[in-house]
Amino acid sequence: MPTQSLIQLGVSLVAILALAWLAKKMGLGGDRRIRSEDEARKLADESVNGFEPVDIAIDRAGYGALLRDAQGRILVLRRHGALFAGRLITHRPRARLDQSLLTIEAEDRPFGAVTLDLGAEAQVWAASLRRMEVNNHA
Amino acid sequence: MPDFSPTEFAVPAFVLLILIEMIWARKKRPDAYEPRDTLTSLAFGLGSTVAGTLLGGFAVWVFFQAYDYRIFDFGEQWWTLWWAWPLAFVLDDLKYYWVHRAGHRIRWMWAAHVNHHSSQHYNLSTALRQTWTGTFTFGLLFALPLVLLGFHPILLAIVGGFNLIYQFWIHTEAIGKLPRWFEAVMNTPSHHRVHHATNPRYLDRNYAGVFIVWDKMFGTFEEERPEEENIRYGIVKQLGSFNLLWAVFHEWIGIAQDMWRAPWRHKMSYLLREPGWTHDGSRETSDMIRNSWLKRQAATIEPEEPANNPITNGRKAT
Repeated sequence: MPTQSLIQLGVSLVAILALAWLAKKMGLGGDRRIRSEDEARKLADESVNGFEPVDIAIDRAGYGALLRDAQGRILVLRRHGALFAGRLITHRPRARLDQSLLTIEAEDRPFGAVTLDLGAEAQVWAASLRRMEVNNHA
Repeated sequence: MPDFSPTEFAVPAFVLLILIEMIWARKKRPDAYEPRDTLTSLAFGLGSTVAGTLLGGFAVWVFFQAYDYRIFDFGEQWWTLWWAWPLAFVLDDLKYYWVHRAGHRIRWMWAAHVNHHSSQHYNLSTALRQTWTGTFTFGLLFALPLVLLGFHPILLAIVGGFNLIYQFWIHTEAIGKLPRWFEAVMNTPSHHRVHHATNPRYLDRNYAGVFIVWDKMFGTFEEERPEEENIRYGIVKQLGSFNLLWAVFHEWIGIAQDMWRAPWRHKMSYLLREPGWTHDGSRETSDMIRNSWLKRQAATIEPEEPANNPITNGRKAT
């Protein structure tokens, strides 16, 4: 690669780091939380088309939620940057319960583990996750 | 012969416009940007230029080989033909429509194009989420008819560069709807927001690059309806990760996994059919999502105007 191209690459790299730093410095991104069951319901429908929860547990800080529909499907929502992303839990996930904190690992690893503070409901949800079928293809 | 790359000249303007949009966001819509998302988008842009430098040689070689078999010869000084430039621009935009449509309807092509849709935000930095892996698709075949017609590969590269530059400024929520005559002919922020939306009614719509007329001609146009619902951006199964390499390669990995697990007679369908298709119906395509949404809509009352819609606030939809 010629020197001029390498210089261009270096300048571009500095420029993108500067822009990202500036976005952080300007306080961009907001602080969105899940404040109500209605909001959790809306986010669930956005995440999985037509998902209609019958049970909802919202993280006490509003960073995520667990939802179950009438077919027994469980959806985990978590904050991703300024917005939310969700995953359907179709098989028994790796999960840890630590008093009121329930940590769930979605099947696709890049989505990451989600820790939710569900208060007294944490144990009930942990039990329902344990009752799910094991994925034999994983 | 012209030796000119319009996109290289446009890069400083891109940076400046992103800066201006960030200032707008700070005042009006802080959630329009997210620092980690912005960094991923910009790194995508930088990486795509490196990938283009390293891998683009193959496409150049194919085009110059094909040019030897051109039907019409525009002469040695083809760049002096004034009419060839606007004609090539329009035909290249038509080509863009079809390669873009294939990019959404054939999973092999989608694996490279999904990069551009992987952000849940829609701002000018999103425009720079360009593919790293386009070389590994058959996208270049769509340009071959133009080369065979007699348009020189360099001419096509230049008009293609201008096409890409045009598409930069439409990646914004800062601009509502533009005058009706402009919206009728040109691709605009409003039309392209629809294209990036994951709302069922908007899926796989508005493939246009510069001229929205192609979508109207080929039946894929959808008007933005901010008075009815807020737009959500990204992909049907959001990544939920800012990992750059995962964002670049996740669909390729998904195809490989699906093909590995699928019965022999279905393997190629995971490469050639539309994204979301499965042999056992375990996932949904965009058509399935839209149809189930339409069924639910038919069973509900008319929607109300959403509160706090960033697109309609302060202005009336036209």
